[in-house]
Amino acid sequence: MDTFLQVTSYGLLQGGLLALVAVGFSLVWGIMNIVNLCHGAFVILGAYIAWEMQSWIGVDPFLGMFVSAAVLFCLGYVIQRYLINLIVNGPVFITLLLTFGINMILIQGMNLLFTADFRSIQTSYGSNSFELGNIRIPLVRLLAFLLAIIITFLLVAFVKRTRTGISIMATGMDRGAARLMGIRARHVYALTFGISAALAGMAGTMIASIETFDPSKAGKFTLMAFVVAVLGGLGNMYGALVGGLLMGLVQAWAGQYLSGTWVNAIAFLVLIIVLIFKPNGLVGKAFYAARVEI
Amino acid sequence: MRNTSKSITGLFAISSLLMFGVHAIPAANAADVLTISLGASVPLTGSIAKEGLLTKEGYQFCQEKVNLLSTSTIGGKQKKLDIVFQDDTSKPDIAAQNLSKFNDKGIKLILSSYGSANVNAQAAVVELNKQTMVDSGGADNAIFNKGYTRTFNVMSPATEYASSMVKAIAEFAKPRPVTIAFLSADDGFSKTVTAGGIAAAKALGFTVIGPEYFPNAASDVSAALNKIKAAKPDVIIGSVHFVEGVALIKQSKELGITPRGFAETVAPPILDFATTLGPLAENVLGSAQWTSTAKGQDKYFGTAKNYAAEFKARFGHEATYHNAEASAACLAMVFAIEKAKSIDPDKVRAALVNLDTLSFFGKIKFDSTGQNTFKPMSVIQIQKGKILTVWPRRDAEAKFLWPYVK
Amino acid sequence: MSTLSAVKTKRNWQRSFVPSVFGVIAVAIATAVESHLPGGELRAISTIFMFIALSQAWNIIGGFTGYASFGQVVFFGMGGYFTAVVMLKWQFTFWLALPLSGLFAAAFAVIIGVPLLRLKGHYFAIATLGMAEGMREVVINLPDLTGGGAGISVPIAGKFAKTEYLGDNGFYFLFLALAIFSIIIGTIVSRNKFGYGLRAIHQNEDAAAAVGINTVRSKVIAYAISAFMTGMVGAGYVFQQVTIFPERLFDVEITVLMIMMVVIGGSGTVVGPLLGALGLQFISEYLREHFTSMHTFILGGIIILAVILIPQGAVNYLREGRRTKNYSLLANIRRYRL
Repeated sequence: MDTFLQVTSYGLLQGGLLALVAVGFSLVWGIMNIVNLCHGAFVILGAYIAWEMQSWIGVDPFLGMFVSAAVLFCLGYVIQRYLINLIVNGPVFITLLLTFGINMILIQGMNLLFTADFRSIQTSYGSNSFELGNIRIPLVRLLAFLLAIIITFLLVAFVKRTRTGISIMATGMDRGAARLMGIRARHVYALTFGISAALAGMAGTMIASIETFDPSKAGKFTLMAFVVAVLGGLGNMYGALVGGLLMGLVQAWAGQYLSGTWVNAIAFLVLIIVLIFKPNGLVGKAFYAARVEI
Repeated sequence: MRNTSKSITGLFAISSLLMFGVHAIPAANAADVLTISLGASVPLTGSIAKEGLLTKEGYQFCQEKVNLLSTSTIGGKQKKLDIVFQDDTSKPDIAAQNLSKFNDKGIKLILSSYGSANVNAQAAVVELNKQTMVDSGGADNAIFNKGYTRTFNVMSPATEYASSMVKAIAEFAKPRPVTIAFLSADDGFSKTVTAGGIAAAKALGFTVIGPEYFPNAASDVSAALNKIKAAKPDVIIGSVHFVEGVALIKQSKELGITPRGFAETVAPPILDFATTLGPLAENVLGSAQWTSTAKGQDKYFGTAKNYAAEFKARFGHEATYHNAEASAACLAMVFAIEKAKSIDPDKVRAALVNLDTLSFFGKIKFDSTGQNTFKPMSVIQIQKGKILTVWPRRDAEAKFLWPYVK
Repeated sequence: MSTLSAVKTKRNWQRSFVPSVFGVIAVAIATAVESHLPGGELRAISTIFMFIALSQAWNIIGGFTGYASFGQVVFFGMGGYFTAVVMLKWQFTFWLALPLSGLFAAAFAVIIGVPLLRLKGHYFAIATLGMAEGMREVVINLPDLTGGGAGISVPIAGKFAKTEYLGDNGFYFLFLALAIFSIIIGTIVSRNKFGYGLRAIHQNEDAAAAVGINTVRSKVIAYAISAFMTGMVGAGYVFQQVTIFPERLFDVEITVLMIMMVVIGGSGTVVGPLLGALGLQFISEYLREHFTSMHTFILGGIIILAVILIPQGAVNYLREGRRTKNYSLLANIRRYRL
């Protein structure tokens, strides 16, 4: 029983981290129909910024993540406003190509700027864990999990209660009508992308504290974001959290009760099974799957 | 529309044909200098860009040293080494294709890429094109079980990576551990390493727990750790790469698994390992193809210590074993060329078959499959954040520590 | 009435005759040029042919039908591994394994297509991606059959080698043949009532169903056709590489490249993927050879420019330009931007 609880709690914590990586991606894809292939690069960039903050100024990653978020917000805003906005009306998967090109440049840029060394952020409490009964809970993973939950709830509150948030949802539902209502769609899109990048940056900071990172890992995070976002379902801000937690649990249980190397195969199998029975993801809204834009 | 697409396609066709006619024109030789072009396709971008860059540095260092210090001539001409680099983006098929392109240009002597997958692909092409290759980056024994005759590996084979640490533990660890758990990534190289380690452990009378596998490049190895937790192993040996290696140590602490010692392949000799893990890396064992205390010297690099010092002066960072093995491969090629007094690939190959020499890297000699089974691997231990050689005894620069690991 | 049908026939004849002639000339050039090219160049051009075939295959499900498959590489990998396993374990000849690999991939497409093609848009894309990644993991975890992470080698020497290794020349012609085959299939689908049905599904699936097109059957057939071609290309690739590893054979980057070539060339046309494959592969080879450390930067920049300036793809841009006599790129941007 102890092993089961240990594995389950570990899976939930891991799921929180996955959700954190995916939430920005889900926002952009769900609202704006943009497939952001450079999401993983944003995550890694956020990790590097937090790392630099810590090694120059000694800033703790939980403060450094705000710096990462701010820098990446600006980067995301600019990329959306002046690059991606240029092709939004084009064929649906053209955004994929554009972001792929941006991804190539970002990754090579990081390779040159930061070199391909493996890095990680050291903190004094980095490998502490505390005991809950017979289970050990690693501290930093728990903090990352809590961060994921907090951010999800903040995001939901943001899009439901604030004017900006509502305008983002409105633009997502019907861009033409939103513009007729006086919403500056270009700005709103850029804002959304910026928020997504900021969230990716925060996720990157958490990744840096928990694991090692280097530029070549970006693809892994993009894939992770893809799978979790779709598993949870697009169009619903809770989607990434739900998808992440489920994925984390499935991987933890599969790793423990089946041979360790089947973990990834099981994860994808679960994704496909969920999609077959719930074609719009676990909590997704059908409307967001395929839309016609004006 | 038809006309437009026709003309565009025609334009493409013509420009394609033109492009194919443009090849790099080799520089004209001065009358008394023989330029020896060696082809090196290394991963400069992609997932193994870091190791690829280290390999490139090793080759470059060798080229500079040889051109500076070489005195022997070939056919009356001074020899000048020129290594032609290409990027294979960490993909085996491009690594192989680059070798074919080298072959087109008449470059028959090859220095390998990095990574067993890339080198595997390259070895096949080298065999078909009748080039000759010295391998510095692919240690998997599987590459050399295929009957290839034109690839030579300066490194100790994969089966030595874990078994060298087992031998070190058997020789030095007091009290002698009883159980050793093997955790491994599931790629071909790591599996070969694990098999070699388990064979050595059983032969030396240890009880083997596992092996438990996890996916290659996994940053979460908790599932495998949970499986061996109950058995409370005395030693955990990980056949890993950097990412899994760090995760193994970190998550062992998180999950409360406390063996008396950790030993890992590949990761501990990398400088980032100790800086990433800080105090957790203390007393972790690792195996390396080379350390700066290796015995042996040669006319170009001197001793291992000379190599380390001059490399650091040239490139600004400590020499790793990736740098050293690349330089050693280039060195072996140069020695073979000097012995054969020719750059004909068959003559160089024959010289490599008979090569038996000491170098800063240790002994370079190839067995009948082309692997260097004559050079032992070094076992290192991280003590106070520094990487120190502790085995074999004659190369040791520090005492092997075996305290109780909290 | 008779004048109309006369015009129609003459235009049809023009539409099929001119490109066919051009195609024959291109193939003749390719064949003639072959003996003058050295091995490395032959390999490079073989890769171009390979991508032509792959992008034509993707175009059928992604371009015509509009179901963007992000996991197309799964057929590449399944076909490839099928060939490797039957050639190694049961000593099939390559020429038998090649079409069987295509059929194997097509059968797999039918099996997964029936449930997956019910998904729309993004969800279909990710489900196929998940399928590709999942199958890679499955292959890694069946080491007794597929060699797992250690890879698998096609026998090319000794008594197990039933087919002689084709060599650079042989593979050049093999991939050329596969490329021609894919273009022919693409053209047939494009001109056929079936192809029009696919386009109808792309534009409005419900309306297509209302008109009487069996959408499920059409989609699955399209998926199977594209899988068949992709599987055969995978088989050829495996034979050429001799030793293969799962990471490369199920590499998502291959799918991304396929999609890029189709979209930049012009999706939903036959010439589009051809141009896209030629252009992109060529440029990336050239850049990689001559700009060893900066090539990813430059390629990324070129892709960004191409996508911003010509989002509808080169062929569609040229067609519209010719029709409206307006080739302005700025007007293009203005049309597609927000």
